[in-house]
Amino acid sequence: MSRQSLNVSRRRFLQSTALGAAAAAGVLQAPAVLRAQGAAVKVGVLHPVSGALSYSGQQGRIGAQLAIEEINAAGGIKSMGGAKIEAVLGDAQSTPDGGNAEVEKMNGAGVAAIVGGYASGICLAASQTAARYDLPYIVDVGVVDSIVSRGLKNTFRFGPGFGVIAKTALDNLVTINDQANKAAKTVMIVHEDSAFGAGLAKLLNTQLPERGFQVLETIPHPTPTRDFNNVVLKIKAQNPDLVIPANYYNEYVLLARTMQQQRVRPKGIYSVLGGAASSYKFVKEFPEAAQYIMDCNHWFDPKNPKALALKKKIEDKGEFYTYEVYMNYSCILLLADAIERAASADRAKIIAALENSTFTGHMMPYGPTKFVNGQNQGAAPVNTQVIGNDIQVIFPAAVASAKPVFPMPPV
Amino acid sequence: MKGVAPILATVTLLATVPLITSSNVVLNFLVMALLIALVGQGWNLLGGYGGQYSFGHAAFFGTGAYVTAVLQMQYGVNAWMGFVIGIAAGAVVGALTGAVSFRSGLKGSYFALITLAFAEVLRIIASVTPITGAGVGTLIKLDLRPEAFQFQSRVPFYWIILAMVGISMILMRLIEDSRFGAYLVAVRENEDAARALGVDATRVKLGAMTISAAIAAAGGCFYAQYFLFIDAGIAYGPWISIEALLAPIIGGIGTVFGPLLGALVVKTLGELAKLMTGGAPGLDLVIYGGVLIVVVAFAPRGIAGIVSDMRRRFYRTPPPGENGRG
Repeated sequence: MSRQSLNVSRRRFLQSTALGAAAAAGVLQAPAVLRAQGAAVKVGVLHPVSGALSYSGQQGRIGAQLAIEEINAAGGIKSMGGAKIEAVLGDAQSTPDGGNAEVEKMNGAGVAAIVGGYASGICLAASQTAARYDLPYIVDVGVVDSIVSRGLKNTFRFGPGFGVIAKTALDNLVTINDQANKAAKTVMIVHEDSAFGAGLAKLLNTQLPERGFQVLETIPHPTPTRDFNNVVLKIKAQNPDLVIPANYYNEYVLLARTMQQQRVRPKGIYSVLGGAASSYKFVKEFPEAAQYIMDCNHWFDPKNPKALALKKKIEDKGEFYTYEVYMNYSCILLLADAIERAASADRAKIIAALENSTFTGHMMPYGPTKFVNGQNQGAAPVNTQVIGNDIQVIFPAAVASAKPVFPMPPV
Repeated sequence: MKGVAPILATVTLLATVPLITSSNVVLNFLVMALLIALVGQGWNLLGGYGGQYSFGHAAFFGTGAYVTAVLQMQYGVNAWMGFVIGIAAGAVVGALTGAVSFRSGLKGSYFALITLAFAEVLRIIASVTPITGAGVGTLIKLDLRPEAFQFQSRVPFYWIILAMVGISMILMRLIEDSRFGAYLVAVRENEDAARALGVDATRVKLGAMTISAAIAAAGGCFYAQYFLFIDAGIAYGPWISIEALLAPIIGGIGTVFGPLLGALVVKTLGELAKLMTGGAPGLDLVIYGGVLIVVVAFAPRGIAGIVSDMRRRFYRTPPPGENGRG
C-alpha cells in the first residue's frame, strides 16, 4: 500500500474517531467478583447514561438509586429478613445492542430483576434478552406499545403507552380548542425519527383529521439534530395554528429556542411526550422559549405529598425533578413491593408477584394498579402547561393546578 | 489453497470457546466482535485490497437487515430464505451504487462521500417508508426455533457468525491468489497503469464492491436475527460504517486477518476502558478514543503491520509473499 493513501486513510480515520467512539459498544466484563454481604437482592438499573440520551438516562439513574437508598435505609426487604437491595448499574450507551450487552452482564451478575431502558428501542431489545432468562424487566418509560404486546411474560410497564397517551392528548386538545372557540385548525408535526417520535407522528396523522384538524406537514428529524433553522423556516412558511413537537430533550429545547429566535409564534405549541415541555430544567434555563407550551406527558400528582417531598429532595440535591426521576423511583418501589410480597429473589416468584400487583405507593396520578399482559391499566398521562416560571397541571381536572392558557397571548 | 490452514486453525480455536466458558457475556461480546469482523472483512475487500474507501457500508448492512426482517414480517418468508435473499439484495445495492459511482469516475474522497450519501439516503427512506415500519422500526417476532433462525442459546449464533467470518476469510485468501485479486491490487496501486496494461478497472472495482456489499449484508441479516429489532438508525446509521472501517484499519488494512484482529482488539479495548472507569458515564469512550488515536499514530499499518515488522526484524529480510500486501 502506498504511503500516500495510507496518510489519507489515517486522517479520515482520525476524523471518524469521535463518532466511532460514540458508536462503539463493547461487551466483555469479568464476572462480578464482589460477593454481596448477607443475602442482598441484586437489581439491574439500566439506563442510557452516555450517548445521545445521556441526560435522560442519568436522570433515570438518579431516581432509581435514590429509591434503592431509601428502601435500604428503611430496613430493606422485610419479608427477607431486611435484605438490602444492591444496584447493578448498566449503561446502555443509547443503543439497543448496548442495552442488550448490559442485560447479559446483569444476568451474569445474578440480578433478580431489571428496571429501566428509557428509550423504546433499548427497552425492546433489553426486555427480549431478559426474556431468555425469565428475568423480570420493568420498563421505566419506553412508550412504544409493541413493548408489551409481544407476549413476553417477563416484561412489565408501569407507565402509559402510546395508544393511551395519544388518545388522552387528542381528547384534551379537542377540549382545550373547543374552550377557545376552535381557535386552532391547522397543525404541523415535528418529530424525531426513531420508534417513539415516528410512531406518534403516524398516530397523529390518522387521528387529527378525524377530529377536525388539518395536518399541513410532518417533519421528521434524527436524534441528535443540532440545527433547527430549516425546520423553523418551514413552519414559518406554512404558518400553522398549532405546532406539535415529539422529540427528546435536546432537540425539543433547540426547536423551541429557534422558534423564539425567528419569532415564530403559533397560537399554541402542544406537544405529546415533549422531551422538554414538562421539564423544570428547560423552564428555568429558557423561560421565554418555554412560556405557554402545553404537553401531554408523564407527570407526578401535584396533590400527592410523597411526590412533593421527593421533588424537594431532588431539588435540594441540585438536580431537576424530571419525569425520568419519579418514573424510575416509582418503578423501583413497584419492584421492591413485588419482592416483598414474593419474599424471595426468585425470578418466577417476582414475575408472579408483579402480575398480581396492586401497588399504590407511586407518585403519579394513575388509576388502580393492575397489570394485563404486562401493561399497567391504571397508567395515564397528564396535561401540563408552562405558566410563569412553573409547570402547572391543566388536565385531568382532579389534579389540575391551573386553567389552560390558549391561544398564547401576544408578546 | 496456500494460507488456508492458519484461517482454519484460528476458526477452530475460536469455535472451542463455548466449550470452555458458558458465560453469555463472553459469547455476546465475541458475537458482536465477530459481526464487526465480518462487516469489516467486507469493507476490507473494497477498501483494503481495492483502495476504494467506502464510508457507507451501512447501505449494504442495512439492506441485508431490512430485507430479511421485512420478508419475514410482511410476507411470511422463512428466516433462512430471507437470509439468503437479504445477502443477494445487499449485493444488488452494492452493484448499483458501484455502477453509479465508478461509471461516473468517482475516486478517493468523492467515492467516500457518495457512499456516505447513499447510506444516508437509504436511512432517510427507511425512516419514512411504511414497509420498513418507518421510524418505529421492524420487530421480528420471537420464535425460538432453529427453523426460524432463532435459538434459545447464544452458542449456535456464535458458531454461525464464526463460520461466516471463516468463510469470508477463506474467500479473501482465494481472491488474494486469484487473477481478480491481482487486478484489484493493481487498480489500488495505480489505476491508470492498470488500465494501460489492459485491466478493466471499472469492472474489477464493481466486482469487488458487489462481493463486499454481499458480505456486509450478511452481517446485517445476522444482526436482524440476533437482536430481532431494527430501525433506520441501527440498520443504516453511521455507526456500522465506522465500525466496518475501524476494524480493518486497526487490524491491518488489506490483510486476511486484519478485520478479525482489529475487531477483537477494538472491542476488548472498549470493554477494558469501561471496566477501568467504572461509574463515570462516557469516560470509557474518551479513553477508548484516545487509545485508538495513539494506536493509529504509532502503528499506521495496523496490528498485522506490527507483526510483519517484527518478523522482518527477526529474519532481517522480508519474508516472501509479504510485499504488496501490507
